[in-house]
Amino acid sequence: MTTLPRTRTAAAVLTCAAALVLTACGSSGSSESSTSATAAATTSAAVSSATSAASTEGSATGSSATSSSGGDGAAQVVTVTITDADGCVADPDTVAAGPVTFNINNVDALGVTEMELVAEQRILGERENLTPGFDSTFSVRIDGGSYEIFCPGAATERTPFTVTGQAAEVTGDLADLLQQAAVEYAGYVDDQVEFLITPVKELQKAIADGDLEAAQQAYAKARPFYERIEPVAESFPDLDPAIDLRIGDVEEGTEWTGFHPIEQALFEKKTTDGLNDLADKLVADIEELQKLTGELSAATIADNGKGYQPFEIANGASGLLDEVLQSKITGEEEAYSKIDLLDFEANVEGSLQAFATLEPALDQIDPTLVPTISTKFDDLIAVLDDYRDDSALGGWTPYTDLTAADKKKLTDALLAVQEPLSQIAAKITQ
Amino acid sequence: MTTPDEPGTQPAPPASGPSRRRFLGGAALGAAGLVGGAAAGYGIRATQDRPAADTDSGEPSSVAGAVSVDKAAAQVDFYGERQAGITTPQQERLMFASLDVTTTDADELQRLLGRWAAMAARFTQGKPVSDSPGKPLAPPFDTGEAEDLGAYSLTVTVGFGASLFDDRFGLAGKLPAALKPLGTVPGDTTMRENFTGGDLCIQACADDPQVVFHAVRNMVRAARGTATLRWSQLGFGRASATGAGQTTPRNLMGFKDGTNNIHADDTAAVQEFVWVGDETDQQWMNGGSYLVARKIRMEIESWDTDDLEDQEKIFGREKSSGAPLTGGEEFTAIDFNRTGDDGEPVIDINSHVRLSSPEANGGVRLLRRGYNYTDGQDPDTGKLAAGLFFICYQRDPHAQFKVVQARLGSTDLLNEYIAHIGGGVWACPPGVTAAGDWFGKRLFTENS
Repeated sequence: MTTLPRTRTAAAVLTCAAALVLTACGSSGSSESSTSATAAATTSAAVSSATSAASTEGSATGSSATSSSGGDGAAQVVTVTITDADGCVADPDTVAAGPVTFNINNVDALGVTEMELVAEQRILGERENLTPGFDSTFSVRIDGGSYEIFCPGAATERTPFTVTGQAAEVTGDLADLLQQAAVEYAGYVDDQVEFLITPVKELQKAIADGDLEAAQQAYAKARPFYERIEPVAESFPDLDPAIDLRIGDVEEGTEWTGFHPIEQALFEKKTTDGLNDLADKLVADIEELQKLTGELSAATIADNGKGYQPFEIANGASGLLDEVLQSKITGEEEAYSKIDLLDFEANVEGSLQAFATLEPALDQIDPTLVPTISTKFDDLIAVLDDYRDDSALGGWTPYTDLTAADKKKLTDALLAVQEPLSQIAAKITQ
Repeated sequence: MTTPDEPGTQPAPPASGPSRRRFLGGAALGAAGLVGGAAAGYGIRATQDRPAADTDSGEPSSVAGAVSVDKAAAQVDFYGERQAGITTPQQERLMFASLDVTTTDADELQRLLGRWAAMAARFTQGKPVSDSPGKPLAPPFDTGEAEDLGAYSLTVTVGFGASLFDDRFGLAGKLPAALKPLGTVPGDTTMRENFTGGDLCIQACADDPQVVFHAVRNMVRAARGTATLRWSQLGFGRASATGAGQTTPRNLMGFKDGTNNIHADDTAAVQEFVWVGDETDQQWMNGGSYLVARKIRMEIESWDTDDLEDQEKIFGREKSSGAPLTGGEEFTAIDFNRTGDDGEPVIDINSHVRLSSPEANGGVRLLRRGYNYTDGQDPDTGKLAAGLFFICYQRDPHAQFKVVQARLGSTDLLNEYIAHIGGGVWACPPGVTAAGDWFGKRLFTENS
């Protein structure tokens, strides 16, 4: 079970990379995606199939088990009434194991925006965006045991909820799904670093050959692989600055190394002169990155607590969108090459992949969550797709051609994803 | 400013008493103790005046807007038959936001309006979004910058733009005639798309800048995925007086602005000119009011080189005292008929005070609620980017704002020094009555 998803993911990314070389792995098909198909459909195809494969090994897992629970007609109904005076009250407060539908009515509790069904620290189901005067609902299949209904901000935040007996069908275990997510994500990072080495070495060679145009092409080819996994790279405090620091962040007395001094020479000074040492160091640093991420990956597979943690993957998904907001949408990242949209797309792609690995686990927590976030990802990718330009370096409209209205449109679509995405780390902690 | 300097009942001079017929009548409160006086007198005045005004007019006593005394602790009731922030004594700070709705799901839009109502109810009590401390691995419920500050008389007023009434939410049949686009109004040639229009607006007013920012920031955050910020404006100084006991403030040209604004306690004028009543073609707006905003850039550098005599001629008033050029004090009635030795009218026929007067506009008045603003420096010209963020409320913008602005936009001497660069018209529905109610509930739930 541990190796299967990793292999599938790698295969998918390879296919993807081969098909589109530079960019757009996964997003190319998304403009056609429709209705409930998730934004992650193309990128996470491998992930989903891996999950399905895994589910044949034993208990039912992921979205299939959870989503079926609401539709088999046998669901018990629990009414949760949230009031300013009494907090959240469930009626009945005891049900038999199996599918349960919670109908929630926030009557007048102004400070309450969500309700969760929790067991100790684990969320089994939840509903957000509760608003006074409105009803909401969610369905979940629950096993026997003691639970709490948790309404943060209510007068009484927690009330006991009891489930008797045994569920007819056992749901997948969240911990297993999260471990699987971590392993899949480790595989994704390994692949990106591996793919990164090839264009970086091409860059090194083009510089050695004094071939400016080839060096520019190789630069644009390399960037997305790094940008997809930026939060991981940033977790190595010495390595990321050596690879990706921009000139304004270089402390006095420190040498400026990595991608960006090379970028400045290639695109502003338009020369490969004097870049050999920088290129050699970049290759060495990327190889060091590969070693370190390989160790992380091994630790993740060994599940020894030293590998990728699921909440870190969730934070990484949100963090990648921060990267876009802070340095791509502003045109600061690729100040000389103007390929900021290429980085933009790569950050989004990396975020989508991280999210996709968590999908089966998130589906267990709240079946409405993944479609909601995926739809926003879809919207973002659709907006981004308008700026593809095959004739431009990197395949995207140069940053300097964007109008203020373009940037606002992209920012709005980005914020719409990031807001719900920023909530998922808390949902998967246990 | 370019906006109607319409007369209104003045609060202070008991000798003369209120009379809304009196043009530019009343007496000045005096410039002394401008800030402190206003601050101290404000809450006390409001609490004293309010019940009497309500009794006189037969107005519902649940009208949002009653305030308490301490400035930081002062609270304005959020719930009421009317939205607060319209006739509420004007606070010192503004943040205005215009949003575009991005969802096409009417239910999602209503939930947003419900969430906004819940947030506004808490913010106006000085409370954060939620009392829950939140979860370690989730972003906090509230952004936190107003924690410990107090409500500072915060009001949150929400409005709907004409663009909301298209086919997205099934509202096409519910567009009030009064909200239909004003068409081209003289002086609009300088309007800029990026400061204009919007499906929804939020007007947050308080006596602390961080409190208004916090309210709008969190409401815009709650809208992510449902609506996006189209444009916004921070206003730093009250440029009108809506409450009895408030001194007449000055605009950035140094002139007293809105000397004769309608005051909240002049309930007859408020009823006649501000609140929508049974006459509306859309009953969901009964009890609401229409907000017109105009972002009016001042050509500060040019104004600063204009001589005093010309500045006073443009306004028709003395700069220092605010008295009309025909003599007296700030609130002395203007004699529009008086001519000088040269046979010309003392108050120029194109002066701001003459053109904006109700007499020149068929008796039309509106309730002004403007703020001075600056956006720093214009990146293109290097000039100060500053002026007046004019806001006014009325029953019908076509019959009120447009009438006055059409006259001002054509021949006002002030036009040489100002430009209308943004704004919009929004329908502010009646108040949110209780927890569980929301902005515009009747619009969505009732057949009209």
